[in-house]
Amino acid sequence: MHLLTGLVIVVMAVALLRAIVPAQPTLTMLGGSIAALVLLVAYRHDLLGTEFWAGAIGFVAILSALLVVLHPNPMVSVLFLILNLLCVALFYIMLQAHLMAVLQVIVYAGAIMVLFVFVIMLLNLRAEEGLRLGSGAERWLAMGLGGVFAALLFWALRHRGGQAWAGPGRYIEGFGTARDMGALLFGEYLFVTEAASVLLIAAMVGAVLLAKRRLE
Amino acid sequence: MAMRVDFFLVMAALLFSIGCVGVLIRRNVIVMLMSIELMLNAVNLTFVAFSHESRSMTGHVFSLFVITVAACEAAVGLAIVLALFRRRRTTDVDDVSLLRW
Repeated sequence: MHLLTGLVIVVMAVALLRAIVPAQPTLTMLGGSIAALVLLVAYRHDLLGTEFWAGAIGFVAILSALLVVLHPNPMVSVLFLILNLLCVALFYIMLQAHLMAVLQVIVYAGAIMVLFVFVIMLLNLRAEEGLRLGSGAERWLAMGLGGVFAALLFWALRHRGGQAWAGPGRYIEGFGTARDMGALLFGEYLFVTEAASVLLIAAMVGAVLLAKRRLE
Repeated sequence: MAMRVDFFLVMAALLFSIGCVGVLIRRNVIVMLMSIELMLNAVNLTFVAFSHESRSMTGHVFSLFVITVAACEAAVGLAIVLALFRRRRTTDVDDVSLLRW
């Protein structure tokens, strides 16, 4: 865990230095890289632990989610959203949900995000002049509500008493594979699967109608 | 230190809160849609984590359906944004207040 904390501090320090002293970008990056290398060598046994990788992926996921919300350029937001989705796909792999990880990358990060990129390029959106985050009171109310919401979630999660996370290779055979998923989808949840297909058709017809140039 | 499923739940809670704040504070429709995708994604992570904990694959099936609904929402939402942009030349929700008070 020391390695992860150190690396996070190094990344934060580099970002802070680049914001404070924009004139020396190479020096800052060089210092950051040397500090990161020293940390990696000193705590190299941490690299083999799952906790380190889970924490690192989580850090990247949170950072990219924050940048999705805070970046003024929608195109950059989409790219960071793709990074966030890939991080969550790695989480799925850690949770033995292999098929879900593959679907996350193909369907979510692939198909749906391409739709977003396509629309942004079609509309030729530029970065907003100065980040407009709503009016003053509205923004602080939203931030406060978000904080309250996060606190509530954490409160609900404390002392939940769940089971320990089972590492890779120590799990039920067939969990998370396409075969078991298909058996569930076309067995127990057949009706829901068919309903989802109807929903997809309805959404497709709706999208085509809405995007038509002239509605008669 | 044993890792628990709670780690993934905490991650999902953080991602959901960030998405929630994003929907509330951003005024660009497309970024708001992206924040909604963030929230749906966090819910998916929660489903998969609980599915891992309870050793049952039902959560995977549910998160697959959540992905389906997210795809529908993105398609219809972006079509609305396109139609809106064609008429009003804007993607700012503050400029589109016909149905508001």
